[in-house]
Amino acid sequence: MTSTINLEGKTLSSTIAKLNAPLPQAFNPRLSSESDLSITPTPTYNTQVQRLADFETLTAALEYAASGIAGYNFYDAKGNLRSVLSYDALRQNARISAQRLTGLGLARGERVAIIADTSPEFVELFFACRYAGLIPYAMPVPVNLGSHAVYVQQLRGMLEAGQASAAIANADYVGFLREAAEGSQLLRWFGTPEQLGDFSVSDMALQSNDPDEIAYLQFTSGSTRLPRGVVITERALMSNLQGIVRHGLEIRSGDRCASWLPFYHDMGLVGMVMAPMVAQVSVDYLATRDFAIRPLQWLRLISRNRATVAFSQPFGLKLCTLRVRDSDLEDLDLSSWRAAGVGAEMIRPDTLRNFAEKFAPAGFDARAFLPCYGLAESTLAVTFSQIGEGFDSLRVDAGTLVDKKMAVRLQAEGRKFSEFVNCGRPLPGHTVKVVDDAGLELPDLRVGSVLVQGSSIMTGYYNNPEDTEKTLKPGNWLDTGDLGFVFESDLYVTGRRTDVIIVNGRNIRAQDIEELAEQQPEVRTREASAFGITDANDITTIVLVIECRLTSVTDRQSLTGRLQRLVYMAFGVNCLVELVPPHTLPRTSSGKLSRFAARQGFIQRTSLADPLSAESGDK
Amino acid sequence: MASNYDDILQKLNEHLKQFCPPEIEITPDTDLINQLAIDSVKLLNLVMEIEDEFDISVPLNALADVQTVHELANLIHQIKSAQ
Repeated sequence: MTSTINLEGKTLSSTIAKLNAPLPQAFNPRLSSESDLSITPTPTYNTQVQRLADFETLTAALEYAASGIAGYNFYDAKGNLRSVLSYDALRQNARISAQRLTGLGLARGERVAIIADTSPEFVELFFACRYAGLIPYAMPVPVNLGSHAVYVQQLRGMLEAGQASAAIANADYVGFLREAAEGSQLLRWFGTPEQLGDFSVSDMALQSNDPDEIAYLQFTSGSTRLPRGVVITERALMSNLQGIVRHGLEIRSGDRCASWLPFYHDMGLVGMVMAPMVAQVSVDYLATRDFAIRPLQWLRLISRNRATVAFSQPFGLKLCTLRVRDSDLEDLDLSSWRAAGVGAEMIRPDTLRNFAEKFAPAGFDARAFLPCYGLAESTLAVTFSQIGEGFDSLRVDAGTLVDKKMAVRLQAEGRKFSEFVNCGRPLPGHTVKVVDDAGLELPDLRVGSVLVQGSSIMTGYYNNPEDTEKTLKPGNWLDTGDLGFVFESDLYVTGRRTDVIIVNGRNIRAQDIEELAEQQPEVRTREASAFGITDANDITTIVLVIECRLTSVTDRQSLTGRLQRLVYMAFGVNCLVELVPPHTLPRTSSGKLSRFAARQGFIQRTSLADPLSAESGDK
Repeated sequence: MASNYDDILQKLNEHLKQFCPPEIEITPDTDLINQLAIDSVKLLNLVMEIEDEFDISVPLNALADVQTVHELANLIHQIKSAQ
């Protein structure tokens, strides 16, 4: 019978899963590892009174959720239930692990870095840290071909930036962690959850947490040199969670979540791990990798378990539209899905329309679309559109948008337009404003930088006062780095400023790409400029322009090939490398490169006929 | 289920042809990133095809050490042998 739970991740949770196995099947050895019949997912309807995130801290919320019967369910690539972690079991396991962590000699406030694959162990360890008063942070799993070296570098950067005292990864990833930990001054222990399990459980009593202490760090970029950890307090977290479950989603009895979002992203961790728990709602998980390879599995999970809430980046919806075959639609029933949250990157109306059209025959109701806007620096969510009303968009004149930074509603057909999705209004306790380059607030329909103020805002970037000061403006206004406008109190995001390029749903800092280039012996500092070009089909390509003195064709090809390979290994995307003569790239008066001007120059040189218009979102 | 390396390589090449510019001939040394330009989205398709073709599950951590056709074929061979 033990073979029924073929859990790749092993440890504590498998024990729980075994305990949950109903007895009759335990006597039938034929229901072997292929079968999920031996364990049942946590139910949708709970036995306790639903409390919507009215807790002071995360562990207080878990203490309450543990008295009910909801929890987390983990499915494999074939859609079989692999393990069940009820909130009750999570509480027990997390408390035991917390005492082990304390036994390691870690003091309250120290940081613990955890490589976050979609597993019960990660969730247990994350909460264990909170029970022990430690500050957890999630690190990504490697996703790109040939990325070994770059991935180790990323891990090292995060271990350093978060000043981790301990780090944990499961057996699949601990080798990378070992390499990254080499030579670390601060790291006192690293290992697998199993190895942590070998430590004795200290008898130290677990203290409750204070709303003003740091709940976790969230890393926002895969930068190899300067990753930044967003500091979120318990108070900010609970405020945001309350906004999400009460105001954004209007969570109620009968809700159930389904998610493929990575646990190392804010939308995955805050939105689909913490938010359901603080409302005592069950969640079904599919690993990100399994979703990416077979997006249909996510929709099947929604269909089979009658999920009502499921979020995705627009890119994930696109994958579904592209990769799910029409013949697969017959078996799907998406009619239970009432909140199809969309966020984390610019939302194109066509992405939503195409998805709705494709999945309407499977019962998908376009009114479920729930565009929202947020960022890790504000815990997760800032604005939500009105739930149950679908998405709404505005068509504005493309020319005026570029020339005057003004969104003028389209008056006549036939003119070139840009269409933006309405991301809705700020959560209670939050304010959004749009300002010009001088920091002055702009009226409706004028495009500028989006700033946010409110109770979910980060304290800063961990141990990084310089970047904190750049991002948190006087009055604690958070500069989001996004451009947009407000219309009738609703926020419309028009793009990122040029320092971030979004490719396939991933945020890539232009600076990180330029740094990769500058690490090459042939490239001098300030002689590389990176930016994104988006074509009419909404495909973004990264362009890297290098001022280059090399004359031999072989040398030039060698540099180009190497740069493409490096960018690929670090970010998993192809890039176009252009070598130009010295002094081609435009500089500001202070000698800094202007990416905006470099991009304009590139467009002129390659004479792309109207390659992107205003829709690139650049200024 | 005896799949030897050469069989795997041959089958793999069939799947890789879709990424291959006409002027390139796929050899074991062909670089998946530089020569076949397999970006993250193409990679997902390829992994799905490989998993279906060979009836295996390809772990992500293993792909971090794969850059050439030979290394990918070798990885598939290892996973199959371990089954």
